[in-house]
Amino acid sequence: MSSNPLRSQVIQLYKNLFYLGKEYPAGSKYFHTKLKAAFMKNKDITDPVEIENLIARGEFVKKELEALYMLKKYRTLKRRYYDEKKW
Amino acid sequence: MYTNFLFFLNELPPFKRILEKMAATLLKSVRATNCLQTVARRIVPRASCVSLIHCRQENRNLHICSRSKSLLTPQISSLETNRSYAGKAEFTISDVEQRVMLVLQLYDKVDPEKVTMSSHFINDLGLDSLDHVEVIMAMEDEFGFEIPDMDAERLMTPKDIAQYVCDKEDFFTP
Repeated sequence: MSSNPLRSQVIQLYKNLFYLGKEYPAGSKYFHTKLKAAFMKNKDITDPVEIENLIARGEFVKKELEALYMLKKYRTLKRRYYDEKKW
Repeated sequence: MYTNFLFFLNELPPFKRILEKMAATLLKSVRATNCLQTVARRIVPRASCVSLIHCRQENRNLHICSRSKSLLTPQISSLETNRSYAGKAEFTISDVEQRVMLVLQLYDKVDPEKVTMSSHFINDLGLDSLDHVEVIMAMEDEFGFEIPDMDAERLMTPKDIAQYVCDKEDFFTP
């Protein structure tokens, strides 16, 4: 099991997502429980192709999270410069 | 009359030369004084200004000196800084063990009463492999270095982690 190269990929993905989720707007606890549930839902999958697909989906979620943080930062900055009622 | 005038001109040169000389020396001296003046104008006020400022600052410093000196000395003797010169602080093995245990007790999925130095994360504490990854990440945060996946898989008890950290950071004193 531990010799499976996909296992380390999955663990790396989990680590990255866990790290990114630490500053999730709705709270890190919310994100981490969802993350755990999402990983546990697919724990019995053994087909390598399917696992690859799921890893690709995880990478996509990572990109989405990064975009979310960037958007949040942008909005925070905008709020500091402009009156919010006008926008 | 013309010749007379010419004659006058002929007569003139020594006089003229004197005049010319005088003018030249006058011009020279004027230039020299001008030069001196500009230099003086630039330097003198500056020097005086600088000296004035210096004097003032010195005076002010002298005025405050005794008070600032007392402020600079450490107020509490226990706060004396222990300088490590860009190296990490030295820990003993028991320090590391205590820190590992503290991190585990703060981790919400671990029962703080059940955890001991030799309890297995998966078998004794009921964690799964993802929780184990989270524990390893918390240890990375605590000790400030990254633990590769290959090594992380072998670290199944708090004792293993403490041992690993001590090996990595060269802490040998018990």
